[in-house]
Amino acid sequence: MTGRYETDFENAWCPGCGNFGILNAVTMALEATGREKHEIVLVSGIGQAAKLPHSVDVNVFNGLHGRALPAAAGIKMANPGLTVIVTSGDGDIYGEGGNHFLHNIRRNVDIALFVHDNQVYGLTKGQPSPTASAGWTGSLQRSGVISGPFPPLAVALALGCGFVARGYAADPAFTSDLMLQAIRFPGFALVDILQPCVTFNKKNTYQWYGKMVQKLPPDHDVTDREKAMTLALEWEERIPLGVLYRREKPTFEQLHPQVPGLPLGERETPEEAVRALLLRRRAVPG
Amino acid sequence: MGIDVNIRVTGGAGQGVHTVSNLIMRMVAGAGYRFHVTQDYVSRIRGGRNSQGIRIGSEPVRAGREEADVLLALNPDLLPDYLPAVGEGGFALADVPSADPPLFRAPLKEMAVQAGSPILANVAGTGAIACALGIPLEIADAVFASDFKGDFVEKNRAALRLGADWAKENLPEKIRERFRLPARSHSRPIILSGNEALALGAIAGGCKFAAGYPMTPGTGILSVLANEGPSVGLVFEQAEDEIAALTMAIGASYTGARTIVATSGGGFALMVEALSLAGMMETPVVIVVAMRPGPATGMPTRTEQGDLEFVLSAGHGEFPRLVLAPGSPEEAFDLAQRAMDLAEEFQVPVILLTDQYLADTVVDIDPENLVVRPLRRHIVRGDSIPRTRQGKYLRHAYTESGISPMAVPGEPGITVVVDSDEHTEDGHLSEDHATRIRMVEKRLRKGVTLAGKTIPPLFTGPPNGDLVLIGFGSTKEVIEETRRILAREGRNVAAVHLRQVWPFPAEEIAGIVPRFGAALTVENNARGQLARVIRSECGVRIDGTVSRYDGLPFTPAALARDVRRRI
Repeated sequence: MTGRYETDFENAWCPGCGNFGILNAVTMALEATGREKHEIVLVSGIGQAAKLPHSVDVNVFNGLHGRALPAAAGIKMANPGLTVIVTSGDGDIYGEGGNHFLHNIRRNVDIALFVHDNQVYGLTKGQPSPTASAGWTGSLQRSGVISGPFPPLAVALALGCGFVARGYAADPAFTSDLMLQAIRFPGFALVDILQPCVTFNKKNTYQWYGKMVQKLPPDHDVTDREKAMTLALEWEERIPLGVLYRREKPTFEQLHPQVPGLPLGERETPEEAVRALLLRRRAVPG
Repeated sequence: MGIDVNIRVTGGAGQGVHTVSNLIMRMVAGAGYRFHVTQDYVSRIRGGRNSQGIRIGSEPVRAGREEADVLLALNPDLLPDYLPAVGEGGFALADVPSADPPLFRAPLKEMAVQAGSPILANVAGTGAIACALGIPLEIADAVFASDFKGDFVEKNRAALRLGADWAKENLPEKIRERFRLPARSHSRPIILSGNEALALGAIAGGCKFAAGYPMTPGTGILSVLANEGPSVGLVFEQAEDEIAALTMAIGASYTGARTIVATSGGGFALMVEALSLAGMMETPVVIVVAMRPGPATGMPTRTEQGDLEFVLSAGHGEFPRLVLAPGSPEEAFDLAQRAMDLAEEFQVPVILLTDQYLADTVVDIDPENLVVRPLRRHIVRGDSIPRTRQGKYLRHAYTESGISPMAVPGEPGITVVVDSDEHTEDGHLSEDHATRIRMVEKRLRKGVTLAGKTIPPLFTGPPNGDLVLIGFGSTKEVIEETRRILAREGRNVAAVHLRQVWPFPAEEIAGIVPRFGAALTVENNARGQLARVIRSECGVRIDGTVSRYDGLPFTPAALARDVRRRI
């Protein structure tokens, strides 16, 4: 890990955990933004992934399980000058926070979302996350998961997300570049990061991913949404990595008439403005 | 009270009951009289049974009355429900084939068609009432001119005049004499509902971010914040659910914005997780809980004070909170400002506890009487941010008061770290037990500091006597009018209104109760929740509770009857 953002926080991840690669990727991406640490806010929920912000010396909002996105949206709406990044787990974002995932894509607040996708709940010791494949056996599903997996990239594309990418924890340099693009993208940007769980996921291992992942060719047309959807749903034969789709559109902050200007915390409320609001409620006008 | 005329307008949803009420209150105010409007409506878009009571007086009117002097039934099918409540000497108007006094057959539809639009039957009815009250119709013309466009202005004027002419010819002279309001010098009050007053108070208190998910009866607050936001740079966002609403507000508050969310009991149930987050992160936020009858969906458009114990205990874990309960639109304006300020000063969640009755109560107010408090900001910036020798800022620094100086992200040279986990002074998560003890004690110390700044209860009546009536929130004015009714009968009764229910003003209440022969709480709930809180917080004897839990508010005459039975 590079020095600039280093903290002495002990994250307690298992040796070999994909989170280390993701942490490396995050810090490399932050370095590349050129932003000062006081200009960056890392937001997370709860879980092993959600502890990542404590290892990075920037502003940190480590909130509740599932609720990283609404907190991040509130931060960005109130002070659009901050670079707001959410980094949290798949159970957090796609399970407990599924509703917020759907609606913040619609909202298109300028947030970069990094999801540590290891298909498993690590902190509670081995239950399937929403992205787990059917048939996967967990500590609460001895005869296998019945529900089908949640397809994050396809859902994001269906909702019109402007930046949809997939990274891989074992390739921090590549993932870091995706993260940097996501941070720089004006609007809601998703980077789903494939992450082996060395303790609880014995199927989707480094070896397994090594055989499955395949970077998208340089000539992939990132503006082709239908093609992106096809790629997003690929899993059995190969798993595409890279930017599947990218198309800019106006952000929430650009469209909401009251967001541009001073951060909300620095705005004044002149007494005359309040008086004017009261007097507009005269019983009889004139 | 000198003049006391109660007008009831009833009809199905969509028949324009609200328009009539709005027009009458504005004409009455323009004519120099005071009023109080209560709204009783059903949870549907069309049909059903809506009614509004407009009680008019020469002095400030602060509560409703069940008995009507004048009834306008826009839907004659509702007459069996409302006609029996027309008092002696009163009259009723409805478009019926034939009628006997006190009901008069008013051809409202015919007049409306003649005026140019069949939907103006309600305005024709308003004209008839205006004639009976002797209110100059010109006052309404100014209202039409500002509210409507094109030929609809003229059609409204025509309908109003047709109604007035009809009343002049068809209502007996005796009736018109009885209700004629003597001419008074015109006044220029403003009109505010409880919801509007609260929202404007929040704006006056520097609120810059609001979020919510629509839920009756809290929605009215959100609509004022959304619609008036542009003039004060306030951002409103409709959230995907109440969980998101409060969490977004906490996120915005973390950056230093003053924030508010508004909901009712069911929505607040969803917010409870984030309430606890605000407690742990020590993030200021104001939460309006406009109560309605529960459990579950209950009666969505009716009133109750059944969530007192819920808001006092909501949220997992132990953390300080402030709960304020305004008793009138004026008090809602004042307490919302103070809520904004106190939330930031003490870095606690503040709950403004109202209900459907107060939310939808509409009164006239002299704007000069509304105090806009100077804004005090409590966030540290720039050089005034305390730093350790290593140059670090500690968001949760241990202090004697329990309040840690709050800085916000974006300040060069420092970072602001907050966590829902237990944390060290710098905000990073910690599982150290000694740290846990110090942090628990720091947060609770803040609660003690907060309790030292209690907004005291309001006391009226003799310093000692036979009975003291105690209420919180929306019952304030009803209890006060009841106290006056009983005082006129020679009874020694006092009243206490709690504007702050938490931290509980135990010292004040413990000082008052023993000075009276008996103490009763007056509560719009079935279990006497305030009485339970008083007993547990002050250990004083409460002799019982006058309860109402049919979904409707108390009225002074009925409450006085109930109290007499208990003396």
